[in-house]
Amino acid sequence: MIEYISGAVTLGYLIAALFFARFWKRTRDRLFVSFAVAFVLLALNQALAQWLGAADERVGYTYLLRVLGFVLILAAIVDKNISNRKAGGGR
Amino acid sequence: MGTVNLVLTSLAVLTSASCMWLLFRAYAASEARLLLWSGLCFVFLTLNNVLLFLDVVVFPDIDFRPYRLVTALVGLMFLLYGFIWEAE
Amino acid sequence: MTIEDADFSDEFCQFLQVAVPAVESAELLLLLRRESARTWSAAEIVAALAPGVSLREEEAAHHVEALEARGILSVDGERRARYQPAAELAGHIATLERVYRERPVTLIRVIYGLRDRQIRSFADAFRLRRK
Repeated sequence: MIEYISGAVTLGYLIAALFFARFWKRTRDRLFVSFAVAFVLLALNQALAQWLGAADERVGYTYLLRVLGFVLILAAIVDKNISNRKAGGGR
Repeated sequence: MGTVNLVLTSLAVLTSASCMWLLFRAYAASEARLLLWSGLCFVFLTLNNVLLFLDVVVFPDIDFRPYRLVTALVGLMFLLYGFIWEAE
Repeated sequence: MTIEDADFSDEFCQFLQVAVPAVESAELLLLLRRESARTWSAAEIVAALAPGVSLREEEAAHHVEALEARGILSVDGERRARYQPAAELAGHIATLERVYRERPVTLIRVIYGLRDRQIRSFADAFRLRRK
């Protein structure tokens, strides 16, 4: 059951990433690139954690991928607000 | 190592919580439905990160993995529903 | 993108968002409106709109289908379309025709702005300073 949900979650992250990529194509807003990459990292984290198995000590490192993903999102938010101020409303 | 874990998992919690807050704030202002579903997604992703924090930092002996997986799944279902039906 | 514009009232924008998702839809609709006495096949529409608008036949058929679903065109058994709007839409279509003539650039911007409104609002949500 756990593997089933883990697989579903991995796929969910990947599909979300694809949607973000599509939104970037439509609007050319950099924010969506960051979200797309972040969600790919979350998918990777999920897949690796499942593949290594809970007992493997390296599982802890896979969570760095998750953190990296969220750091990317944070960077995207910062970027959106900094360039906002600079260009007076740019993307 | 313990401090690194604390910082990193807290960072994840704060980031997803910020996304959740920003999305709901924007939804309150604009009523764009996509924001509602995205906000709900980040509620569960934040929950997911909180559980990760508890799992790694506070209760390393307890395995929160099943609960983490369920929260992630529920959050993603909200997000994908919103993307498919509300994102034009 | 807030549109405070007498020509682009909220109702008209809502009409656009629902019935005219792309500029080609508008072109197609206005073409059939100009020649409302006759019926059109998808191929004839493509030929009539060229060279100003390049459309594949499947795209034209798709737009026709969408407009039929909105009650703007009627399609007979031979897949030929005729301009036959529901009464309450005639006003908006007249506005569309006028705006297309007088302010085409604005119209195009509005159509595409409306299309991605939800997505843009996602990106805009992350602006800390509310505009």
